[in-house]
Amino acid sequence: MLRDFTFNEVYFLLLATRWTILLAVIAFVGGGLLGLVIAGMRVSPYAVLRRAAMAYIQFFQGTPLLIQLFMVFYGTAFIGLSPDPWTAAAITFIVNSAAFFGEIFYGSIESIPRGQWEISRALGFRFVPTLRLIILPQAFRLMLPPTVGFTVQIVKGTSVASLIGLTELARTATVINTVTFEPALVFGTVALIYFALCWPLSLLGASLERRLLVQKVRGGPLGKGAAASPAAAVAGPD
Amino acid sequence: MDYVFHFGPILDRWPLLLWGLSRTLELSLVSMVFGLAIGILGAVAKSFGPRPVAALASAYVELIRNTPLLIQLYFIFFTLPFIGLRLSSDTAAIVALSIHLGAYATEIVRAGIESIPAGQIEAGKALGLSGRQIIRHIVIVPAIRAVYPALGGQFILQLLGSSIVSAIAAEELTAIANNLVMQTFRNFEIYIVVAVMYFVVVQAFIMLFRLGGRLLFRWKV
Amino acid sequence: MNRLSPGRLLAGLLAGLFVMVSLGLAPAQAVTTDEIISRGKVIIAIDTTTAPYGMVDTSMEPSGFDIDVAKLVGEALGVPVEFVTVTSPGRIPSLLTNRVDMVISIFSITPERALQVAFSIPYAGQSSVVLAPKSLDIAGPEDLVGLKVGVTRGTGEDGLLTKQAEKFPGIEILRFDDYASISQAMLSGQIDAMGGGDYGDMYLQKSVDGEDFELKYILKSFFFGIGVRKDSPELLQWLNTLVYSLKNDGTLNELSIEHRGAPLPELPVF
Repeated sequence: MLRDFTFNEVYFLLLATRWTILLAVIAFVGGGLLGLVIAGMRVSPYAVLRRAAMAYIQFFQGTPLLIQLFMVFYGTAFIGLSPDPWTAAAITFIVNSAAFFGEIFYGSIESIPRGQWEISRALGFRFVPTLRLIILPQAFRLMLPPTVGFTVQIVKGTSVASLIGLTELARTATVINTVTFEPALVFGTVALIYFALCWPLSLLGASLERRLLVQKVRGGPLGKGAAASPAAAVAGPD
Repeated sequence: MDYVFHFGPILDRWPLLLWGLSRTLELSLVSMVFGLAIGILGAVAKSFGPRPVAALASAYVELIRNTPLLIQLYFIFFTLPFIGLRLSSDTAAIVALSIHLGAYATEIVRAGIESIPAGQIEAGKALGLSGRQIIRHIVIVPAIRAVYPALGGQFILQLLGSSIVSAIAAEELTAIANNLVMQTFRNFEIYIVVAVMYFVVVQAFIMLFRLGGRLLFRWKV
Repeated sequence: MNRLSPGRLLAGLLAGLFVMVSLGLAPAQAVTTDEIISRGKVIIAIDTTTAPYGMVDTSMEPSGFDIDVAKLVGEALGVPVEFVTVTSPGRIPSLLTNRVDMVISIFSITPERALQVAFSIPYAGQSSVVLAPKSLDIAGPEDLVGLKVGVTRGTGEDGLLTKQAEKFPGIEILRFDDYASISQAMLSGQIDAMGGGDYGDMYLQKSVDGEDFELKYILKSFFFGIGVRKDSPELLQWLNTLVYSLKNDGTLNELSIEHRGAPLPELPVF
């Protein structure tokens, strides 16, 4: 032991939390946008795009996040790139969460009755305008609860970036543990910080989900496909 | 400086990687069984238990779902010995993974229970079934059937998530990969091979899980 | 109507990714001291989880033996040091992919590693030892049979103890990812003995069972060199000259006493 675990160390853990938050925001925004593209491809009229989107989702949901991160960080060398840990982590978290967002968005889009597509085609709308102006606004409320739920997974998943040396919350915990040797205190504090970040999001997700269920019971404008529990999609990389 | 690929050193060590894969499967499958059991108990407690029991189940679910698995592993392995509970690496990994999955499974199974119409339970009562029989035949089995795909998704995340138990010296595929990296310095080649192995196993698991669902639920209910 | 076509969105995203990747590209290959000086900074890989060589001080700035050596390198070149933190398995890739100019992070000189990177003459050294509670009677590997021994994955101790475990079946090796984890496993009583550095007992307090720890036996002596890319002979020669001079004027010995509580061991050269 080189020094005690004091409020000074707690302060640095709190400072490191901003990098965890920043990484989660990057993953949420970038992954959300890319996920929208993936979901759009998944319901597009072109079989090639649909298949590409399915393969994309299958790959990123079928291999560990840690291995994906190692491949981006160490593996891009063979095309002459050497991203720093931040760039590697940002890219990995964006492409990984895009797969999960893509699946969530796709599920919500699918639960909008098929008739809506047919009506807008009859009205002369093409694919993208139909998706953007008619389907997505309706699907939005459906996708909201699982999206918030998955955001919790993103926040927790950022801890994996510590394993390529990115100094976010989990890595700072290891660094402080190295000099204080107080794992119960260090990891207890860190668990509390993660909990403080994630729990409000979880509560928000749950309350959104309840509101949705109430609407459905009252006979809201949702099709029968919406009966699939949004809770089912609340799962992600860890 | 160009990076030159060498797969030779990895292919020489196939048996080690396969052994790591079998450990990954063992850890995942055992914790799936325990996790599902915890999930069913938790869901029944949350849906039918008396208030304090339901509150306890909720607290467990919230605590586990809102903290990273890595931190839970550290806690079980490094901190529990200070209150006299010493678990080996493998046991600690299985306990952590089971508790982790149990929290998610609780919520999934609970969603299934909620999807069962109240009338169905009334019908069970009218037929003279006992409370235990009703919970088992009218609630749990149909509930699991309703959320079977969601459970499958969670099991896959469990399989992939087991990759971080090397942090407490449990040996599995990613730990073996890291050992090989240190021996051969062939980071990228090894991670490609390991990614392919995980991918193949996950796809096989998806197929088996679907097949299992067909076999299980054709004659039940 | 077509402002948000998927094609454009995808193209925009790809462009964004490309910019991010380009920003993340390592600077031009610095292979000579002249290039480092004209660039105005030297980029050095360190690890802040390897106390007492690499750690952080109370204001979370890097500190330790390795960090002080890195600062001396910067001073001698007359340029500021940019630290890049790497993990132990990330040291060789960080050099091979041009992320850093050199690695100063308890980088033991071994012929296997020297196939990938080049080492300077050693600037520090220590022995890998087996540490265990005083109450255990351990004089050699035969006494470890039936015990759990913790090591850091891929370190010298890992290799040596793994070989001893092959010779004496019954030694159970547990591999952890960093030194803090094995020290912690030791304090929690999760392992009976550990492989570590000869400074290791100064970090171990009483365990959960109230035990004190001591050095049991020495496995092997290791020497740390500064790692550079193999295509930088001029930089390597300059580093050798610097280490030679820091050793002769007593600077390295002072650092060793400050950080390890022991004088610098006899350092061989090659």
